[in-house]
Amino acid sequence: MKHIVKIMAVVVAISASWLGLLQTSIVSQDYTWLLPIYFIVSLGCYGLLMVGIGLMQFPTCPQEALLLQQVLYLRFFCNLLLYIILAEDILEAKDFLKPRGVDVGSD
Amino acid sequence: MESADRAVGFILSLISLSIFSYYTFWVIALPLFYTDHFVHKYFLPREYAIIIPVFAGVGLICFLCMFVGYVMLKSKKKKA
Repeated sequence: MKHIVKIMAVVVAISASWLGLLQTSIVSQDYTWLLPIYFIVSLGCYGLLMVGIGLMQFPTCPQEALLLQQVLYLRFFCNLLLYIILAEDILEAKDFLKPRGVDVGSD
Repeated sequence: MESADRAVGFILSLISLSIFSYYTFWVIALPLFYTDHFVHKYFLPREYAIIIPVFAGVGLICFLCMFVGYVMLKSKKKKA
């Protein structure tokens, strides 16, 4: 609740300053009408820039990446072996349970 | 892997910087030039400086809503 109040206060302050700028014409009125959209576009641009810079500076650890790759290969291989060993039993169990109305499908 | 990430990040920051500079020049600097200056032909008329961001923002929000709805529908179908 307090967060919403704070955000609303900031929004009201910004719009009040924008309206004041409109009325007193410190900068020409043409600029003032375009100022909100300009700020929103520049905010989006700034976010994109931060994402790009973060991507560029993100540290990748080559040894850990290699180890992870090897672990993934190993797990895939073990799953494959298990499937090959158990395929017959799996089929038997499916044929046994399906007529008895048990949900044996996974997708 | 690492160089691909860095290339993507670099391209992203280049795109954002170019969009920002183009838009700044369009909105702030261009009205200060004479109307028959040659640089005006590189920029669209100034109404588009409002239309294009608004359309892009609306399109983004639509896309987000559709994505959220699609994910919700898919999860509901899987549960039922």
